[in-house]
Amino acid sequence: MNKIQTCAVCALSLFIPSSFADITLNGFASIRGSQANSDGGLAPFPEFKEGEVSFKSESLFAIQARADLGEGLSATVQLFAEGRNDFDVNARWAYISYEVNDAHQVSVGRFANPLFHQSQYEKVGFAHNFSRLPKAVYSDFEFATIEGITLDSTFDLDDYTLTTKLLYGSWNGQVFISAVNDNVPLGFKDIYSVNATLSGDWWKIFAGILLTELDGAEFDQGLFQVAAPGVAAAMATGASAGDVAAFNRAIGWDQKDGIYTFAGFGIDYNDWLVDFEYSDYGVDDSTDGFNNSWYLAIGRRFDQLVVTIHTEDFAQETDLDFLDDVSHPVLQATGQAIHEGLIFREYEGSGITIRYDFHPSAAFKVDYFKGEDTRASVGDYSIMSAGIDIVF
Amino acid sequence: MKIFVSVLVAMCSIIAFNVNAVNVIVHPSNTNSLDKSAIKKIFLGKSKKFPNGEQAIPVALAGGDARTEFLGAVIGKSESQLKAYWSKLIFTGKGQAPKSVDTEAELVKLISQNPNLIGYVSDAALDDSVKVLVKL
Repeated sequence: MNKIQTCAVCALSLFIPSSFADITLNGFASIRGSQANSDGGLAPFPEFKEGEVSFKSESLFAIQARADLGEGLSATVQLFAEGRNDFDVNARWAYISYEVNDAHQVSVGRFANPLFHQSQYEKVGFAHNFSRLPKAVYSDFEFATIEGITLDSTFDLDDYTLTTKLLYGSWNGQVFISAVNDNVPLGFKDIYSVNATLSGDWWKIFAGILLTELDGAEFDQGLFQVAAPGVAAAMATGASAGDVAAFNRAIGWDQKDGIYTFAGFGIDYNDWLVDFEYSDYGVDDSTDGFNNSWYLAIGRRFDQLVVTIHTEDFAQETDLDFLDDVSHPVLQATGQAIHEGLIFREYEGSGITIRYDFHPSAAFKVDYFKGEDTRASVGDYSIMSAGIDIVF
Repeated sequence: MKIFVSVLVAMCSIIAFNVNAVNVIVHPSNTNSLDKSAIKKIFLGKSKKFPNGEQAIPVALAGGDARTEFLGAVIGKSESQLKAYWSKLIFTGKGQAPKSVDTEAELVKLISQNPNLIGYVSDAALDDSVKVLVKL
C-alpha cells in the first residue's frame, strides 16, 4: 500500500462522523533492542543484523480503528509499521465484520492468516510472555496477512468453550527461501482453513489445518535455472524431452498443494504455565520437504513477574517420492540435489524470557536464546534482547 | 493486652473487608441465578446470554478497589493478564472488552435501567434500584 492510500485509510478511519459510527481505537507497540551472534557470521533470521545491537529488528507500532456501525456491523482497519521495514506503514488488517448472532461472526477483507494457534496475534508482544514467539513454529511467514472471508464461532458448552474459525482466501507475494537467502515470488490460490480451540478454566487444546494450491510459475523458473546444468547433462546422456518435462513437473511447485497443520495445548494453573505446539507443513509432492517443528515452554508467574523457559526444534523431512515419475538417473540426482538444498536447514535451541508487568498496559521483557543452525554460514548462534511491549 | 489488641485489629479488618465486599448486580427484574464461573464467562466474552436465554451485557468499573476485588475473586487475573487476554481478541477481531464506567453510582444507574446488563459494585454503592446476584 502506498503512502497516499495509507493516508486515505487513516483519514477515513479517523473522520467518520460520530453520528454514523462508534469508533474504538486500540493499538500495540514493541520497542526492543536485539542482538544476534553466530559462529558462521550470518544472522540466524533475516530481520537481525549479525553482531549488531539493533532497535529496528523487532520494534513495531500498530493502531487499530474499529467502527461499530450498529446491528452487528463493524469495520476494522489496523495500520502497522515494523522497524525491519523502516517503519513503512501498511494496512495489515482491513475488513468488515457482521455478527450473525451471539455465536457467529462473518468477516470479509484483509486479515490474519491463522496458520498456527497464535499466528493472529503473533506481533502483539503484550499478549504473550515471549520476546518473540518461538521461531521454530512462528517463523514470521510472509503470508501472515491474506484476503478472503472467515467465519468465527464461539460455542458455550457449560464448563467448556469451543471456538472455531473457517476461512477461504488467497495470497500473493514473496517468500524467503533460506537455500538462496533471498525472497522469491509465490502465491496461494484457494486457501481453505479450519481451526478449533476447546478450553476449560485453566487449560486449552487446539488444532488446525490449512490447505491451498500454490501459484508458483515464477518460483519454478528459479528452480529450473538451478536445475539447468543437470538437465543439460541428462540430455547429453540420452534424456528425452519427455523425461525433462516429467522432471520439471516433479520439481516444480506450481499448482501443487500446500498443507499446514498444527496442534497443541496450553495450561495456566496455580501460576504455572505450560505451552506446547507442534506444526507440520510443506508443499506436497515437490522438492520442498515437510517441516516438522515444535516448541515446549514452561513458565512460572510471580505476581507481576513471569519467568519462561522454552525449547524449540525445526526439522525437515527427506522425501523423494516426488521423483517417482523421473526415470533418468542424472535427472533423479539433480532433483535429489535440489531437494537437499531446500531442506538442509534445520535449527533448534532453548531460551529464557523474563517478563515484568511494570504497568497494567506495559511489560518489560528480557530474553536470551541459544541455538544451533545446520547452515555453515550460521552454525551456533545466540539472540539477546530487552524491550517493552505496550497495548492500549 | 497486646494479643487482645491484635485480635481486635484482625476482627476489625475482617469486618472492614465485609463492609467493602463486592456485589455482582443486575436489574431487579432479572430472575437468573449465576455462579462465579458463569459470571466469569460473561465478563470474558465467552458467554453472551443469561441462563434464561436473554442477552447478557457486562459493564465493568474502570478502576478502584471493587474492580481489583472482582478481578481477583471472579476473573482470576491481574490487570495485566486481563489486558493480555483482551489483546488477543481485540487484535484478531474476535471480541471487545466490556464497556467500563468511572464510578459505581454510574454503573448502578445504568443497570437499574437495563435488564440485560450485569456489573459489580461495593456495598456502599448498593441501593434498591438493583438486585444483588452474588456477594463476593
